[in-house]
Amino acid sequence: MVEHDPRIPEGAVNVSVGGFNRFVGPLFRLPETPGDEIRRFAFIVTDKHMNSAGTVHGGMLMTFVDISMSQTARAVSGAKSCSTVSLNCDFVGPGRLGDVIEARVKVTRRARTMMFMSAELVSGDHTLLVATGLWKVPVES
Amino acid sequence: MTDTPSPLPGYVPTKLVDPFEIFVGPVFETGAPGSRHFIFRVDERHVNMRGVLHGGMLMTYADLTLGAAVWDATDYAPSVTLNMHTQFLKPAHAGDIVEVTPQLTRKTRALVFMRGDFTVAGRTIFTAESIWKLLGRD
Repeated sequence: MVEHDPRIPEGAVNVSVGGFNRFVGPLFRLPETPGDEIRRFAFIVTDKHMNSAGTVHGGMLMTFVDISMSQTARAVSGAKSCSTVSLNCDFVGPGRLGDVIEARVKVTRRARTMMFMSAELVSGDHTLLVATGLWKVPVES
Repeated sequence: MTDTPSPLPGYVPTKLVDPFEIFVGPVFETGAPGSRHFIFRVDERHVNMRGVLHGGMLMTYADLTLGAAVWDATDYAPSVTLNMHTQFLKPAHAGDIVEVTPQLTRKTRALVFMRGDFTVAGRTIFTAESIWKLLGRD
């Protein structure tokens, strides 16, 4: 990241530290609100995230929601890594250049080896994407 | 990455116009519009810290290739993705070549249903089903 954008709050943690996450990032985990079961992540839309129609590419929106839900699965389960098994995304509205896009992730059910989650991507008052997904949680031996 | 040669003979670079697709590409193809077969080689940009192909890259590749097939099926009508459902069956790694021939499931006046089975060395690693809205059609 070149310099800190004031729209990313103090206490946010860069979770795009390597691999594809870093390539498409930076992406941040936002500070938790005590008592709030929603986990939040954010990124700022730059030129590389766009499509030729002037909106954020659907692949980037799916990438961001996948990373946010995977991070949540890891944080909640304590596992080092969790794998996406299935992800369903509805593209509700377009994202724009310069937007701060926030992911809001909720765990629907945590079973021993599986986690069910839902998530929403929002920009300001606008919903961009809603997703449900299923993650495999490895059993620590 | 525009000068990257195709990982397999007989393929030409897919023309990419979206900045995000150019950023993650290149992608190569063979075959005529309507029955195009696509490939891309996984490189170190596309994997996570465990060396496994990132789901985000697979979904981006699915959006790109199924979208190209929608384009072919609609006489190049502008469209947007309404929904994409994906299943991750097996991991892939750097150096793997991921192939897909998108399949048209159904086309109505306003909607296109497109799916794909994505394979590495002949084994399906990922599936995607998508619904596209043709802009300006009721």
